[in-house]
Amino acid sequence: MIPTLQSYLLLGSGIFCLGLFAALSRRNAVGLLVGIELMANGVNLNLVAFSRFTGLIDYQVFALFSIALTVAEVVVGLAIVILIFRHHRGIDTDLVSEFEG
Amino acid sequence: MSALNLACVAVFLPVCVAGILWVIPALRTRGRIGAFLSVLAALASTASALILFGMQRAAPNTVILDAQARWLTREGRSMADVGFYLDGVSTSMLVVVCVVALLVQIFSLGYMADEPPAAFGRYFTYHSLFLFSMAGLVVAPNLLQLFMCWELVGLASYLLIGFYFKKPSAARAAVKAFWVTKFADMGLLLGIIILYAQTGSFSWGPEAVATLTASGAATAVGLLLFLAIMGKSAQFPLHLWLPDAMEGPTPVSALLHAATMVAAGVYLGVRAMPVFAASDQTLWVMAHIGGFTALFAACVAVVQTDIKKVLAYSTCSQLGYMVAALGTGEIVGAYFHLTTHAYFKALLFLAAGSVIHGVHSNQLQDMGGLFGKMKITAITFIIGALALAGFPGTAGFFSKDLILEQLLHAELFFPYACGMTAAFLTAFYMGRVVFLAFFGPPSEAAQEAHESGFPMTIPLVLLAALSLGIGFFGTQLAGLYGAEYHFHLSPTGIVASALGFLGIGLAWMAFGRRPGMNLSAFQPIGNIIRYGATDRIFKAVYERIILGASAVLSWIDRYLIDGLMNWSAYITVVGGRELRGSQTGRIMDYVYFLVFGLLVLSASGWIGQ
Repeated sequence: MIPTLQSYLLLGSGIFCLGLFAALSRRNAVGLLVGIELMANGVNLNLVAFSRFTGLIDYQVFALFSIALTVAEVVVGLAIVILIFRHHRGIDTDLVSEFEG
Repeated sequence: MSALNLACVAVFLPVCVAGILWVIPALRTRGRIGAFLSVLAALASTASALILFGMQRAAPNTVILDAQARWLTREGRSMADVGFYLDGVSTSMLVVVCVVALLVQIFSLGYMADEPPAAFGRYFTYHSLFLFSMAGLVVAPNLLQLFMCWELVGLASYLLIGFYFKKPSAARAAVKAFWVTKFADMGLLLGIIILYAQTGSFSWGPEAVATLTASGAATAVGLLLFLAIMGKSAQFPLHLWLPDAMEGPTPVSALLHAATMVAAGVYLGVRAMPVFAASDQTLWVMAHIGGFTALFAACVAVVQTDIKKVLAYSTCSQLGYMVAALGTGEIVGAYFHLTTHAYFKALLFLAAGSVIHGVHSNQLQDMGGLFGKMKITAITFIIGALALAGFPGTAGFFSKDLILEQLLHAELFFPYACGMTAAFLTAFYMGRVVFLAFFGPPSEAAQEAHESGFPMTIPLVLLAALSLGIGFFGTQLAGLYGAEYHFHLSPTGIVASALGFLGIGLAWMAFGRRPGMNLSAFQPIGNIIRYGATDRIFKAVYERIILGASAVLSWIDRYLIDGLMNWSAYITVVGGRELRGSQTGRIMDYVYFLVFGLLVLSASGWIGQ
């Protein structure tokens, strides 16, 4: 059976939803980052699939940008996580509530 | 040098000096340097003005300079121009302003020499500012520039009246002058706005006036502009500020409140005559208010005991003559009298200043017998007094007769009668001042009086020469702006001169022949006029109406407008307090909000589709 565009999109949105669920439910900051990463990659998969099925190169360029951005985001995110760990002696996101109104 | 360069020098050099002295306190507080710069600028202005006057003489009745810069352009069309407009009227007025300003500044070098250096420098800074504003007003090509300079001379007047600002009466006088003229200036502003709305220009030229007349707003604009003239030129009932303005230093009174600034109102009348002449009602009002002021102020001047107050009311009265003359619809009489009056009234004030400098008092009772002690001052003062009284051959004789003849010719009998009576009273009160101050037994203060120094006597002599001579050049002066004037001895002139002699004679009978005699019978009348009803009426109006209206406005401001502000601030505070609970500080909650928002957006997009 030859995979269709629809199956790729379904897979991509499935990965996105898993990532969203992880990002919303994990209290561990690293888990949160992993969730965000999953969401981004679900979107990337969509982009690559579009490129494959339309023959346009634009989507691939976009996907490359997205990957580069995600990497940069993880770098900053992990740096923040390390700082949170130093400050609160833990990476539970519930510990970080300085902005409570 | 071209006319444009000369005009730039005449107008902008003083303001450069004022600016330099303003931003560099080191120059100003030294005093002498500031004064030197200021006098130098006035000298350059006067020289430029005289050269321009020479050019105008060579080409009478033409516009020798019409240079305008565009300001506020809209759709390529200039909304307002600023620049120079020099014709026969403005060039000769520029000469009057510059010459009197220069002489007054030189006089001030002597008169103000006892001031501390910082005050001395401040005084000359204000003087330079005034010279710039007044010159800018004179050369104004349209009402907008005239209005700006009009306000600037008002500012200079405020600053100079309040020069001794530590004295409460001087500070109050400055504020009073400012408010009264400011009230009148509303008329100028409204008039200009209506003029612009109707004609699309700030011009007083014939085309604009034709459009204005066609639109039917000529009377309104004319009366509003006349309100401004009443304020600036101290016409009844807005004359109140002028006597109080005598709190300023005497040379200031000579320059601003006698010769030039108060004449700015009459100058506006001369310049914008087409606007006024477009409406007979305006002219009628001008003639009658001017005539009444001439008589009223002359009556008040008779009973003043302060030499400067006499001269102040005399200025009111003479300005009344000019305004009445404007009411005939012709400019030559008013303008000629403006020119001559500027010289002889500046002379009178400066000579009075010299006397005050000698006896250290303004009061006539502290003077007496000064003729022997202050020869130059006395002789020049008497020349000025004769010119003011219209003694045949002096400057005032020609110009006052011209005004009276014009009034008679225009069949304005009430102003004519007022003018005739005022001519008699003028001679009487000037005779009174001369006999009380310079003859008779000297008072204690007058014993030690002595003649003032050179910086003070030289301007006096020059102004005295001008007061004697300028009257003979009436024909040439009128020719500069294309008016016809030839002196001829008319019945009016003979009667006015006879009344003048009668006034001087009566003054001699009352004050000269038997020195020290006081007119006790006239004291009650004098008191009524002196502590006059006008001031009280204004006070009552001020207290009842203006303060009452202010109280209402203040309530509205405090409880309605401020209340609205306070209410919105209160809502903000309460709203913030209630909404702070939504800020949990936990990242997850924010992400939930984010996703929720995303879902709402998607759903709305879906439904919209």
